[in-house]
Amino acid sequence: MAQCEQFKNRLAGYVVGALRGRARSRVEEHLRDCARCRAEVAALERTGALLAASPLLDAPDGNWDSISRRIAQPARTVTRRLRWAWGAAASAVAIVLIIIAFFVASPNGSGPTQLAMSPPAEEEMAAAIEGRIPAAWAAPLSDEAAVGLRFMSTEDGG
Amino acid sequence: MSEEVQVQDLVLRARSGDVTAFERLYRRHQAGIYTFILSQVRNRETAADLTQDTFVRAWESLRRLREPGAFRGWLHRIASNLVRDQVKSGRARLEISQSALAGDGDGPAPELARQDGGDPWDGSVSADVRAAIWQALDELSPEHRAAVVMHHMEEMSVNEIARVAGVRPGTIMSRLARAREALRKRLAPIVEAEDGSV
Repeated sequence: MAQCEQFKNRLAGYVVGALRGRARSRVEEHLRDCARCRAEVAALERTGALLAASPLLDAPDGNWDSISRRIAQPARTVTRRLRWAWGAAASAVAIVLIIIAFFVASPNGSGPTQLAMSPPAEEEMAAAIEGRIPAAWAAPLSDEAAVGLRFMSTEDGG
Repeated sequence: MSEEVQVQDLVLRARSGDVTAFERLYRRHQAGIYTFILSQVRNRETAADLTQDTFVRAWESLRRLREPGAFRGWLHRIASNLVRDQVKSGRARLEISQSALAGDGDGPAPELARQDGGDPWDGSVSADVRAAIWQALDELSPEHRAAVVMHHMEEMSVNEIARVAGVRPGTIMSRLARAREALRKRLAPIVEAEDGSV
């Protein structure tokens, strides 16, 4: 009986084939002399057979129809994506062509530098600020007035 | 042609876009995948949806399957990942619902998969015994339940299950042993029946 206690926890491992070598031999030796443990092993084996006899369950009817519909969709998605990619590529080409045309049509060929503020433009802006000063005094709380004050105090104070 | 060669051939054909070949793979593996998922999420509707998701994802990823012969294990890995995501998101029902599994629940009884013979009772397990088995399975941990379903019901090898679960074969052996011990106790009235006729 004491020996049974020692082997009790190993019988399931023995049945499923988890025990190897010496550990397996020791259980087999014990089983030769112990009817109670042999009965337990038989019950464990019957449990396994019962599980194996329990059939698998079929997925509901119509599952394949849903799957086949879903696996047909990516093809349409790919087509849509391809169409979008072609559209994007065509737009990019058009933009590049417009930029090239801009360079070619520019009379002195210095198109992009004109985007930076040129000295005449700076003078124009200074004149515009000066021109706004009197108008700014008419609206003392306006932003223009603030700009004018700052402008005048710089001139007065040096 | 052996079953493994047949599966490899179907996988290669499906990989090149043959939907008919993929449908044959579905017919061959749907019951295993559905039963495995059902054993984890314990809700027929969720299991059906996840079975669909598993096969759709498999179709989309077939090019990444290096060994066509490992299709079944690969399919189980996809299913296992989907189940994990489902449980994480809290959408899977976690309560025990053995009545749904046994077919006497709130929906139509699930069809029993046709077996090609080879089991001790030749598929003659009664509905009551089936219900008792699923009830006993429900009381196991998800890991033990998965090992039992794959090993005993789907006849997958310990190594194949270990690859699906991402653990060592010894761990699967240990899970099978602990699960067998627990199920033997829970199914005592059936397994101790004198002649085993159920």
